[in-house]
Amino acid sequence: MNKFSILLSAACVAAGLTATSAVAQTKPILIGVPTSMQLQVGRDTQDAIKMAIDDLNAKGGVLGRKLEMVVADETENPETGISAIKKLTGDDKVDVLIGGYTSGVTLAQEPHISAAKTIYLGVGAASPSITAKVKQDYDNYKYIFRVGPLNSAIQAGQLTDFIAHFVKGELGISKIAIVGENAKWVQDLVPLLKKGATAAGADIRDTEMFDAQTSDFSPLFAKVKESGAQYMLVILSHASSDVFAKQWYDARFPVPYGGIDVKSMDGDFCKRIGGKSIGELAVNFATRAPLTPKTIPFWDEFVKRTSRQPVYTAFGANDAVYIYAQAVERAKTTNADAVIKELEKTNYVGIPGTIQFDATHDVKPGTATYRGPALIFAQWRENCDREVIYPKTMRTAEFIYPPWIKK
Amino acid sequence: MLEILIHGAVSSAIYAMLAVGFTLIFGVARVLNLAHGSFYALGAYGAYYFTSHFHMPLLPAALLAIGLVALFGVFVEKVLVRPMRRSQLAVLMITLAVALVVEQALFLTFGSEYRNVPEFVSRKFTIGGVDVGGQRLLALAVSVILIGLLWIFIQRTRLGSAILAVSQDPEAASYMGIPSDRIFSIVMALSAALAAAAGVLAGPFLTVQPTMWLLPIVKAFAIVIVGGLGSIPGSILAALMLGYAETIVGYTISTSWTEIVSVAATLLMLVFRPAGMFGKRAAF
Repeated sequence: MNKFSILLSAACVAAGLTATSAVAQTKPILIGVPTSMQLQVGRDTQDAIKMAIDDLNAKGGVLGRKLEMVVADETENPETGISAIKKLTGDDKVDVLIGGYTSGVTLAQEPHISAAKTIYLGVGAASPSITAKVKQDYDNYKYIFRVGPLNSAIQAGQLTDFIAHFVKGELGISKIAIVGENAKWVQDLVPLLKKGATAAGADIRDTEMFDAQTSDFSPLFAKVKESGAQYMLVILSHASSDVFAKQWYDARFPVPYGGIDVKSMDGDFCKRIGGKSIGELAVNFATRAPLTPKTIPFWDEFVKRTSRQPVYTAFGANDAVYIYAQAVERAKTTNADAVIKELEKTNYVGIPGTIQFDATHDVKPGTATYRGPALIFAQWRENCDREVIYPKTMRTAEFIYPPWIKK
Repeated sequence: MLEILIHGAVSSAIYAMLAVGFTLIFGVARVLNLAHGSFYALGAYGAYYFTSHFHMPLLPAALLAIGLVALFGVFVEKVLVRPMRRSQLAVLMITLAVALVVEQALFLTFGSEYRNVPEFVSRKFTIGGVDVGGQRLLALAVSVILIGLLWIFIQRTRLGSAILAVSQDPEAASYMGIPSDRIFSIVMALSAALAAAAGVLAGPFLTVQPTMWLLPIVKAFAIVIVGGLGSIPGSILAALMLGYAETIVGYTISTSWTEIVSVAATLLMLVFRPAGMFGKRAAF
């Protein structure tokens, strides 16, 4: 081979390498979204991520690369959830996963997320077991983060505060029934809640767990009534909250209720059931209130784009995109190990509050001195409007009893 | 105790409306119709759609929904089932396919959220100290009336006699000039209309979402196996037994255990008396 041939070959190799590098530089950053596409939690996850992607792309993207979203339906079934993760990490080769809703599904997905060495930012599932694995086996599970919601153990703590300060403190009710669906996150939450509520001086008269498929709540209501409870604390996510509220209203059940009711977070929940949830006090993770400078602008933009009010997964999903983008910018790469180190340093002012992660990569809750995410109790009122009742510092109206309960 | 009596009666009435239609089409045409639960779902969704999108008053909306579901039943029988009626397996497959297509169509059209069917009676009644929603009492009353009317129709009218004749021996009935195919269509329409009526009546206090067809078909199946496939009195008695058994379990043990009652009853009956309580022969 003469000198000219060698030079030509070297030039070709160099040109090839440059071209490959250029392609890598311009290749979009792929965000995989495993979620329950049929549910509003899933639709809101997608819309909120799209909003963040559009905003970041309009500003030039991340490290000069555009962001793109690939969605896979994980339904509420663990097997389908695993297939969704395999599709996103194996076929689509996404850089990060943002999504989730059902704790049982997320727990089943975790070994596959770990095997794919892909960062996962959870925005829907609440079981503490999800992030507990990070501490137990950091090397394998360091990829898992939870941006929202607060885990069910923390929710139990905040529900206990609600019982102590509002139900007992303000309404003067101490006889309480706990009513929850048979699901992993509820099984995690109920013992903590019972312990905390009892310590706060509440008298837990009855604990009713029911199957998520239950469609007739008459026997359950009869048992609650028989127990002498004066307040029903509900923990519902996958169950038919609509049917629960309808039957509570139709029977003019003489016990008010409130608590965690995920479907009651939907903006159209009350109208959807013909106004029968009026009086229910449901937990929200954010409302259209100035929780942070981002809350109201996000809320209004979301409503403008989708013509519906966002549910909790939207807050976490939107924040998760920015949190990931900022971590990549700081790490100057999408390499998972480098980005994880930056994610661990997150201090991001998000929609429900400031987002920071603890040692298990779980979002830190708000305290008296730290404005992290916290539970907000809003009551359905006439014309299906919502008013914030608790915490007292955010109260927009006084609590009212349903019309058939005289106090 | 009175609570169990009232709520058990309401559950039994809804189950009876579902099971009577299901057993009727089997008794007459030997069609095991797995799309029966879809008629129930379409009845509820029809009432929801006509009241919420066209702002129709509830009664015309409900009647229109029931009428359209009856026509859909005729379509399913004439176009999809009739060409395959000689093979029970093919009928099972085609009716299951109809059920799945209806479910997906409801998903695509209405999404997965629960929908609200307005109630005919919104006030609460107190009977012997037990609070009961008016719609539940209405469902109970209408169910008793409809099943009674169906019984009179079959026993006292010329068309009813023709239905009975076809159910006993379709071939002999056709030799006597009774058009069996037309009878099958009429029975399918009746069966679908009864299921749709159950959907319209139960929709306001039970679940209205795309997968709502599945539980009614499981219940209807359990009831007709316990009662005896093809036997209307058997279905009514089994519906009462199952409705009350579930309510008693719900009140005395836990609501989580109610769903196992129908499955256990089916299993026990298939093992110990495959023909059911009133059946003349085992269907399987």
